[in-house]
This record gives sequence, C-alpha cells and structure tokens, in this order.
Amino acid sequence: MPSRKRKRAPEPQPEDESSSARVRSLWSGTITFGLVSIPVDLLTAVRPRQTAMKLVDTDGHALGRQYHCSKEGKKLDYDDLVRGYETDDGKMVVITDKEFESVAPEMSADIELRSFVPLEQVPALYFQKPYFLAPAGKSAKAYVLLAETMQRTGRVAIGSFVMRGHEYLVAIVPDNGVLRLDTLRYADEIRTPETIGLPKRSKASAAKVTQFAKEIEALTHQALKIAELEDQDARKLQSLVESKQKERDDVIHPKGAEAAEDSEGEGAKVIDLMEVLRKSLSNSAVVRTAEASEPINLAERRAQREARSAPAKKKAPAKAKRKAPRKRARRS
Amino acid sequence: MAARAIWKGELQLGKHNVGVKFYSAIEDRSIRFHLLHEKDKAPVEQHIVRKDTGKDVPKEEMRKAFAVGPNTAVILQPEELEELVPPESREIELLRFVPASAVGDQWYERPYYLGPDGHTDDYFAFGEALARKEVIGIARWVMRKKRYLGAISAVDGYLIMTTLRRAEQVLSFSGVEPARSATPQANELKLAEQLVKSIEADFDPEQWQNEYRERLYKLIEAKARGEKIKPAPVKKKRAEGSLADSLKASLAAAKEKKVA
Repeated sequence: MPSRKRKRAPEPQPEDESSSARVRSLWSGTITFGLVSIPVDLLTAVRPRQTAMKLVDTDGHALGRQYHCSKEGKKLDYDDLVRGYETDDGKMVVITDKEFESVAPEMSADIELRSFVPLEQVPALYFQKPYFLAPAGKSAKAYVLLAETMQRTGRVAIGSFVMRGHEYLVAIVPDNGVLRLDTLRYADEIRTPETIGLPKRSKASAAKVTQFAKEIEALTHQALKIAELEDQDARKLQSLVESKQKERDDVIHPKGAEAAEDSEGEGAKVIDLMEVLRKSLSNSAVVRTAEASEPINLAERRAQREARSAPAKKKAPAKAKRKAPRKRARRS
Repeated sequence: MAARAIWKGELQLGKHNVGVKFYSAIEDRSIRFHLLHEKDKAPVEQHIVRKDTGKDVPKEEMRKAFAVGPNTAVILQPEELEELVPPESREIELLRFVPASAVGDQWYERPYYLGPDGHTDDYFAFGEALARKEVIGIARWVMRKKRYLGAISAVDGYLIMTTLRRAEQVLSFSGVEPARSATPQANELKLAEQLVKSIEADFDPEQWQNEYRERLYKLIEAKARGEKIKPAPVKKKRAEGSLADSLKASLAAAKEKKVA
C-alpha cells in the first residue's frame, strides 16, 4: 500500500516482529451498519515471512538506495521527485501531488457495511489481504454483537472504506470471536476461463471421474496438517545461518542495514495483538501462530522487547533519514 | 485475446498425472507511474550506495545478510544462496484433501487458473471428482525456483490453484470470552439478527467499482489533452444512540426501504 505522505515523517521503532504477535496499527475508524457504529482499530494480520534479508557490501557495510537524475547524474531528495504517466503514444503526463489529492476519495473514518452475504458466496479468488479489527474505546459490546450475529447467521458483511487515499472493497468476517477485515479484489481485476481462453468445458468420462474420486477419497481429511504448511525456505535459511554463526563465519554488525524487502505499514505503530485484545475485548484471549502449539507468552516477550528496545532507539535518526527519499512508482 | 501460461506442471494423484498450465487469475489494473526529476522531467535512476559514505557499490560487491539480532547479521555468499534454491521439477504434489471450510480466507494469497496441458479429459475429470467429493486439495510445488503451497479447487468445472501463506504468518485465536458488560443481551442479539437479515443480499461484485482508479485515469486523459477536470466529492452521514435504539431505528429504516 503505497503512501507518500506517511513516508515524509516516519516514526522510528524497533523492528523485530518475529517472536511475537506484534502487529502494526494502521488506521482507526468506525464500522457503521444501519445506525449502529462501532469504533475499531485496523491491525495487520499477516506476519512477514522470516526470509527477508538485508543488503550489505562484502565487508558488511549497510547499503541503501538513492535516486539520481538520469540527465544531471546528481543525487535527488524526495521533494525533487514527481510521478509521470506514459501514454500509449509515448507522451509523459506529470501528475502533481495536489492533483493526486484532488481525485483521492474523500477522507472518511467509516467502514460502511452495505450488505450481509453468505460466506460461501464470496469466491476465494476475491480475497486479497487480511487485517484484524480490534474494538476501540468502549465499543466491545457492539463489536461482540456484530461478531456473534455474523457467526450465528453464517453471513459476512460487505462494505467499503478509505485508507490513505484509496478506497477498499472489504469483507468483514468473524473468526473465533474476533473480527477480521479482508480486502477484496474488484470484479474487473479477476479473469475468467473465457478471458484467459481456456477450452470449453467438456463432459469427462464417468469411469475416470470415479477413479479420481477414489484417489481423492483416500487422501481426504477433515482438517489441515499444519506441519505441511510450514515455511521450508525459512527453516533451511535459518539452519544455514545458525551453523555459520556457530563457526563465526561471515558474522557482521551492520548499523541500520536496510531490509531487502519492504514490509507493510513501515512507520506505523507496533503493538502487541494479545495485549490489545485482552484490554479491549477479553482477558482470556489467546493468540498463537498457526504453526505454534504454545500460546505466545506475554511476560517473556515483554522482557525480550525491553532488552531489544535500547539499541533500536539509537538507530532511529539514521533510519528516519533513509526513508524520506523512498517513493514508489505504483498507485492504483 | 488468450492469456499466456506462466508455467506448466503435473498434478500427481496416485498413479495418475494430470498436466496443467498456470495462468494468473488476476488482471493487474493498477496505474503505473515513472518517477521523474521535477526540474527537468528526466527519469530517475536507482543507485545502491553505502549508507555511511554514500558511495556507489557495484553489483558484484553486494551481499545479502540475515539478521540474527538487533545489531548482528550473517552474510550469505552467492553460492550458499544458490544451494538453497529448490531443485526444479514439474511435479505438483497433492498432500491431502479437505473440506473448503477447513481453509480460512486469511491463508489465501494469489489465485491462478489452471488449464489443461494435453489431456483435456483428465483435467475435467479431476475437476468433476473434486466437486463431487466437495473438497479442495492442498498442494506443494516448485515454480520458477521458488517453493509454493496452494489450495486447488474446482469452480464451474475449471481448476483454480490459490497459493497459501505459510503457517508462521497466520495468527489464530482462542479463549475470546467477553466480560459480562460486553456480552449482548438476548433481545439485542435478536434485533441484530433481524437487522442482518433485512440487509441480506447475494454477493454481487459487479456493483463495486474502483472509482479512484477511474477518476485518476480521467485526470490523466484530460491532462494529456491539456484540459482540467473538477472532482466531485461524496458525502456521508452517521447517527448516534444506545445500541438497542440504534438497532431498532435501523431495522425500521430497512423495512421502510423494502416496502418502498
């Protein structure tokens, strides 16, 4: 989700989110359905894969990116950049920040629920990215009411909301007492067998269908096996790193090295999901990752965090400086 | 115009192999811009530099490092990273089949349509068998040097493979028992259920458009012609009151709408 304004004044923070249910708080607003309103905070729900690496040189010095003018060759600051759209006939149309703002949807703090639809009617193709909604202020009761009603009726809510200048089509889905907000793709972003040009559906031979059905039945279970869904890349990478670290091979101490891949909501406030839910919704709420059998331990995590926060704070000014010139070229 | 396949693989089911072609199910409609230098409108170049000195670093001197602590990382040499690349294979391993409801939507990442590669009959037979058994398949494969997990399902006879997030990325909940003060009363639950039913509908994605994208395109076209356009903002309203009152009022409003 690109945002230009946010990057001008990034908030420094410790960056490790790996060992906990730490999530980022991206937006605050109100769910409205009919005349009922429920204040909520929008939180990230997907933890980054543990395969991201930092870019360094052969001696371990941290690297970063810089924009240079292709004509003058000199280094450019964020404020020196504009966006240009290349038309089909090769003309470059410059769109200024003011013009982007003039077409952005009106700022609104509402997630407006328009209709309730059966969950099974929303094809998996449409789901783009999940977020959590946590009740804000004293909205727990209305929040629980909405979650419970959707659970009981098997319905999910469809609506839309505006975040950082973009309007999102969303489904709000109950998940064990917590509300999730899933952004959905727009219909014109989804291809069909016809637009792809797949062959016309034809009747398969009954004998073959029965054969396949038998094979499928032999492998059918009621639930997922989480061990099959673990991140093999991350595990292989980590075991290589651990063995190198033991042998003190290629171990470096870079200052402010930049992550190779961008993570969402950089600069947003990092909070602890379990703490938030316990405070706002239920003291007994437990959060775990799908692969972990143990719930995430609050006290242990707090200690880890404190141990980490000191060095991370020192890095802050350097980080703030580096983020400013980054500007992404993609908007939709 | 027919889309191009991005990869070919073989679904492995017992003794059978079903050849399939992968097509992106997503049409990227985001509007892409070039970054330009404001002064001379020249495109920008991206340089990778040392942060402390600002000096350019040539590609062959760049390395990737995996962070193991706040200020410690381990460099991985190119040949070590090369060894981590999974071996190439056409095989799509089907691990198990589960009811579609066993996979929450938070697992789903990116969908691909599969088309038949060779035997059309096998392809449609597999789709029919999936539909008959009312299950989806959990699959694992290597595509373009990367490992993937996915869920394969049949929609209107066609196969769709949606890649899945990894178990470490997905959070789950239990024990959410709200305090008594936050537990809704029976009458509130009943009213809420009526309200949900009153604005019940079928999922109709066609009625939603990305209006921002359309306005941005219009702006670009107008500017390309040397014109200017005025945006028309939309207004929204909201009411307040006690939970039960709001529910009743909403219900009354919804009923009125239906009658009218």
